[in-house]
Amino acid sequence: MSDLRKIGFVVNPVAGMGGSVGLKGTDGLVDRARELGARPAATVRAAAALRQLAGRPLRFVTAGGEMGEAALDAAGIAGYDCAYRPTLPTAAPDTRAACRAFLERGVDLLLFCGGDGTARDVADAVGRAVPVLGIPAGVKMYSSVFAVDPGAIGAVLPADGPLRCTDAEVIDVDEGAYRENELRTVLHAVVRTPTAPGLVQSTKQVCEEADEDRARTAIGAFIADAMLPGVLYILGPGTTTGAVARHLGLEKTLLGFDAVLDGRLVGADLNESTILALLETADEARLVLSVIGAQGFVLGRGTQVCTPEVLRRIGPGRLLFLGTPGKLARTPLLHVDTGDPLLDGAFGPYLQVVTGYGTAQRKRLGTRPGAAQAPDRRR
Amino acid sequence: MQTKIHLDEEEMPRRWYNIQADLPSPLDPPLNPKTGAPATPGDLSSIFPAELIRQEMTTERFVDIPEEVVDILRLWRPSPLFRARRLEEYLKTPARIYYKYEGTSPAGSHKPNTAVPQAYYNRQEGIERLATETGAGQWGSALAFATAHFEMDCTVYMVRASYEQKPYRKMMMQVWGAQCHPSPTTLTASGRAVLEKDPDTSGSLGIAISEAVEDAATHANTNYALGSVLNHVCLHQTVIGLEAREQLASVDEYPDVVIACVGGGSNFGGIAFPFAGDKLTGKHPDVEIVGVEPAACPTLTKGLYAYDYGDVAGLTPMMKMFTLGHDFVPPAIHAGGLRYHGDSPIVSRLVKDGTARAVAVYQNDVFEAAQTFARTEGIIPAPEAAHAIRTAIDVALECRRTGEAKTILFNNTGHGHFDLASYEAYYAGTLPDYDYPEELIRAALARLPKVG
Repeated sequence: MSDLRKIGFVVNPVAGMGGSVGLKGTDGLVDRARELGARPAATVRAAAALRQLAGRPLRFVTAGGEMGEAALDAAGIAGYDCAYRPTLPTAAPDTRAACRAFLERGVDLLLFCGGDGTARDVADAVGRAVPVLGIPAGVKMYSSVFAVDPGAIGAVLPADGPLRCTDAEVIDVDEGAYRENELRTVLHAVVRTPTAPGLVQSTKQVCEEADEDRARTAIGAFIADAMLPGVLYILGPGTTTGAVARHLGLEKTLLGFDAVLDGRLVGADLNESTILALLETADEARLVLSVIGAQGFVLGRGTQVCTPEVLRRIGPGRLLFLGTPGKLARTPLLHVDTGDPLLDGAFGPYLQVVTGYGTAQRKRLGTRPGAAQAPDRRR
Repeated sequence: MQTKIHLDEEEMPRRWYNIQADLPSPLDPPLNPKTGAPATPGDLSSIFPAELIRQEMTTERFVDIPEEVVDILRLWRPSPLFRARRLEEYLKTPARIYYKYEGTSPAGSHKPNTAVPQAYYNRQEGIERLATETGAGQWGSALAFATAHFEMDCTVYMVRASYEQKPYRKMMMQVWGAQCHPSPTTLTASGRAVLEKDPDTSGSLGIAISEAVEDAATHANTNYALGSVLNHVCLHQTVIGLEAREQLASVDEYPDVVIACVGGGSNFGGIAFPFAGDKLTGKHPDVEIVGVEPAACPTLTKGLYAYDYGDVAGLTPMMKMFTLGHDFVPPAIHAGGLRYHGDSPIVSRLVKDGTARAVAVYQNDVFEAAQTFARTEGIIPAPEAAHAIRTAIDVALECRRTGEAKTILFNNTGHGHFDLASYEAYYAGTLPDYDYPEELIRAALARLPKVG
């Protein structure tokens, strides 16, 4: 938790262009988007966010032209340091190279403007070295690193005092499948992102919910204590399922599916066929999943692992869902999309999500991300 | 159209009703926490006065209310019984809904009904200070009010989650001259032990009870007072049900369903025991009695019926009751008064025997009912009371489906004027629907070594 002094700032100039012309993403389709009349909007959104930081004693390290300079100029922020000059047109390798250059200059935070694709590139370059925060400008923003809107950046970053951070998932969405209305989400990386306790004030009142790490540890201890002998536990990706393994003293792959039986690791980084093979040997199994991403996925299709076949073999009633209270507070609805509507229906209108040692919450299931919510009766 | 049904002050009950007299077999005795043998009056005498210990054990059907106590109860009793016509019309139900309103007491809830006699009996026996715990702050403010009338000191250990959520409750206690500390504190060994394990704990009633009991046991001039659970507390609360039965009789009614929320069981016992007695003695064998608890802390619906401690540290006698385990720290729901791992042994017994039944409800559904009630009947209920309202509405809606014209009676235990922050959270959409992971908890408990 260091004070925020130097910010690395990068813009994906073409982010969001595909969305405005109905392309559901811009990966590999920039030219097509331009032909359809799309105009770059990322710089405008980035400048709107930066204006809230103008006047603060911050130093910016950025990339040339549309990759950063233009937005800083538009926001009236001078005296920045340009650490990377891209060759036009810019592409994903430029984002990664710029981020690496920023790290060499000792930035305290990486602020980027783009969508899930940009988040992926930033995460690849930065990892967990410094916190990452996204100004939303993409077509898809399923990752948890984005501020709710550009106007929230000023509130998320404290004007003084240390930066408080939490873990956030960067989600990989298969754009080809997405265009076919199929949502394939894979956890790509876990980075650190600033938290804004002031923006979730109602949950803040309840002190048990203050600390994500503490909650994860409690969830991990509870699930580990509740593990039954002779039952095969398949732990999905994420840091919360990771806490279960940690409590057992096991090394779990962060992004993969691992299996535990009687306190021992019996399979790591599993795929559908290795899971099915393991299920052959076990009388009973549980699948332990965490709530992933900003949209509250617990089960997205195409993880290559949680196929309808695997889910049927385990049984929909034998899934355990984990999520910290902070995560659930930011996630109004959860989503299940197994690729089999019949199976999706088996989960009912609510899921129980374990949130601590011996505690849980009931969360409503949405049908599809972005689908209309049930009418709000609180009006 | 009569809306309020009143009794005269002279019609106030002069005797409490003790349902122990009408149970088909005696209650299982409380056990000494150290020896495991049935607790004797001597085991309790370091923290309770002799008369309350007698009332705890007695099987006499009625216990006289001292005149000095009646005199103070007159400040707000008899409490009104309302016919909730506007709610009935809104629900388009053929059911007739009545509710007893206990929010007219100075502290705003049913709690002073027992705080006053407890302070009185302690003062009679020379006690100068009472130590207690409080969840939502209702009990702490009630005891502060009561001790002020008998010139006693009062120390309140308030569950930290509530202390922070409801700052005005502690101001009330201060006005009545009591000292209020956020629990766990560093003032007691039990508090320090909890803080050492978990410095950021939100606290719980079980922890606060340990602190207050320890305070009382280690100071000669100090006794302990409990706001719920115990037999004598439920006994004192029976004025609610005794009055309600008279009030209903005055309009030729007798309830088909009696509903109250259950935390430790005293408001439930208060309204329900006189009717449960009618059921046990065969006068009204069909009256249905329903306890409503939070899904986050479902003691009666998902707990075990077993001997357990009343507190976290294991200082209280072990009681036979429904329990979620004395070390269970319920999630910080806004109905702080219902965050208790156990339940009154008598209420537990009635549920075990099928004389009463229990349901569990989720927090957002509770606040939805509270809003409906406030917009039809006017009173903004405490979140605890709103649990009973939720179920009363559910029964009334069921009547709409079946066409039955049931008479529903529920206890509206208090107003929610100090709980508006929880309403704010409800409107902000940030109230979690806490749940209880029953299977996992049973699996986790099965692995623990058996103790005692």
